[in-house]
Amino acid sequence: MRRALEILLPMSSVVLFVLAWQFYVDWNDIAPIYLPAPSAIVLALWEMIADGSLFVHLGATVLRIFVGFFLAAFFGILLGLLMGMSRLVARIADPWVAALYPLPKISLIPLLIIWMGTGESYKILISAISAFFPIVMSTHAGVRQIEPGLLKAARDLGASARQVQMKVVIPGAIPSIFSGLQLGMGVTIILIVAAEMIGGSSRTGMGYLLVHAGQVLETEKVFAALVVLAIMGAVIIKTQQWLDRVLAPWADLS
Amino acid sequence: MDVIVENVTQIWTDRRRGEVQALSHVSHRFSSGRFSCILGPSGCGKSTLAQIVGGMERPTEGKIDIRSADGAQVAPGAASVMVWQNQNLFPWRSVLDNIAFGLEVAGVGRAERHERARAWTGAVGLRGFERHLPRHLSGGMRQRVALARALILDRPILLMDEPFGALDAQTKFVMQEELLRIFEAHRRTVIFVTHSIEEAVLLGDEVVVMTARPGRIKEVIEVDLPRPRRLEMMGSPQFAALTGRVLGLIREEVTRALAEQDRPDGAA
Ligand SMILES: Nc1ncnc2c1ncn2[C@@H]1O[C@H](COP(=O)(O)OP(=O)(O)OP(=O)(O)O)[C@@H](O)[C@H]1O
Ligand SMILES: [Mg+2]
Repeated sequence: MRRALEILLPMSSVVLFVLAWQFYVDWNDIAPIYLPAPSAIVLALWEMIADGSLFVHLGATVLRIFVGFFLAAFFGILLGLLMGMSRLVARIADPWVAALYPLPKISLIPLLIIWMGTGESYKILISAISAFFPIVMSTHAGVRQIEPGLLKAARDLGASARQVQMKVVIPGAIPSIFSGLQLGMGVTIILIVAAEMIGGSSRTGMGYLLVHAGQVLETEKVFAALVVLAIMGAVIIKTQQWLDRVLAPWADLS
Repeated sequence: MDVIVENVTQIWTDRRRGEVQALSHVSHRFSSGRFSCILGPSGCGKSTLAQIVGGMERPTEGKIDIRSADGAQVAPGAASVMVWQNQNLFPWRSVLDNIAFGLEVAGVGRAERHERARAWTGAVGLRGFERHLPRHLSGGMRQRVALARALILDRPILLMDEPFGALDAQTKFVMQEELLRIFEAHRRTVIFVTHSIEEAVLLGDEVVVMTARPGRIKEVIEVDLPRPRRLEMMGSPQFAALTGRVLGLIREEVTRALAEQDRPDGAA
């Protein structure tokens, strides 16, 4: 009963909102270019599904997100672990990470376009760079904050320095690495869509779809693209959270 | 193996509290085949001493000399294993894999180490919990995992830092009997830290009473109860006389420790 209510209440708020929107647009005769009715948005969405264009754009965006994310994850975890395990690496990398982490990565877009044009590599690189920093920072922090007692216990039980790193340091850092990856995924999604929106940088992707629909004043398509983007983001993030809980059941992940 | 503690002093440098002297000129010989219990007020340096003997910490002053039966010197840590006061179980490993950790890093194959770990899981009364993670166990169960994880390695020196502190009274009796059985079947050097006077007298061949911080050795009391020890001995007049003596010593020190509580640096 209570559970049913917990689901019903937010659902009905969404339904109410959509209905209010629909009636408002219908009764006041608002121009669809300005604010399309929900029914028009659903229709636009359906058309894009029917002609397959939605899947081309969505597929391109998702693919870019995953390439950017995995690049950032690979190099970010690698550098984070190295920083955590070697004081020398930490010393060298620290000023770079500290200086580049707070820099808004969007500000690198003009430079990257000058250097590599507006092709795939620019989009993937900008998202990978953005996601790289939170992953490095979390991984490094995860290694540093490992309970020293666990390291002592492992050594006492006969583990070599290498075994301590493989069997204690890395698993001990996993909860922190996962939260870094969750941050990184959020950033990757933002940057890929933003990069796709930059003038003429692509003919595919949800960002392109959004900008193009806006330029030709197909406002219902703009809304349809926004809805798809919101759902895509939620599905990716929720799946990741679920996966993290399955892979690290000992951790208290948010 | 003999563990000879020679004039050990330990000063911790703490970022907030400055220097804390935990041990002051401690000397004692923990002899081979003997079960030594260490008693003392909270914070007097019992865990510190155990960690220095186990080679996890280097003393500020003094040294630890460990000798095997043939007189050869052994590095601290090489021949000992610790049961930690706070267990230090690996949170991502199941009960079975925690117990098997020492065998795993020694290169024992998966099938064999799991079989041996399973036997130990049974010995500490955790059959059926092999796949559980530490976070899903009670405090007492975690202590039993920590115990099995150390005992499986069968090292000649066993360091036990309040291993039964979190156990309920009944489980504690069962574990004490089990530990006595293991020790009496195969004597080794045991250094056992406890807060319980009864436990110290029941288990130990000697009770080392320490002073309040900075810990020194106040007195060593020989426990001449016969072995094998039985829980029933706790009712004997001899047992009562021994615990009475230890209690007198401890009372002085605890009173002193409480009087010094508003001086967190504690160093005299
Ligand atoms: N790694 C450390 N760094 C700094 N100070 C420490 C460290 N370990 C212990 N101390 C300090 O040394 C003193 C002795 O600590 P220790 O843990 O050895 O006491 P204990 O006798 O085991 O106490 P308890 O009975 O409460 O377990 C305490 O004041 C403690 O705060
Ligand atoms: Mg202690």
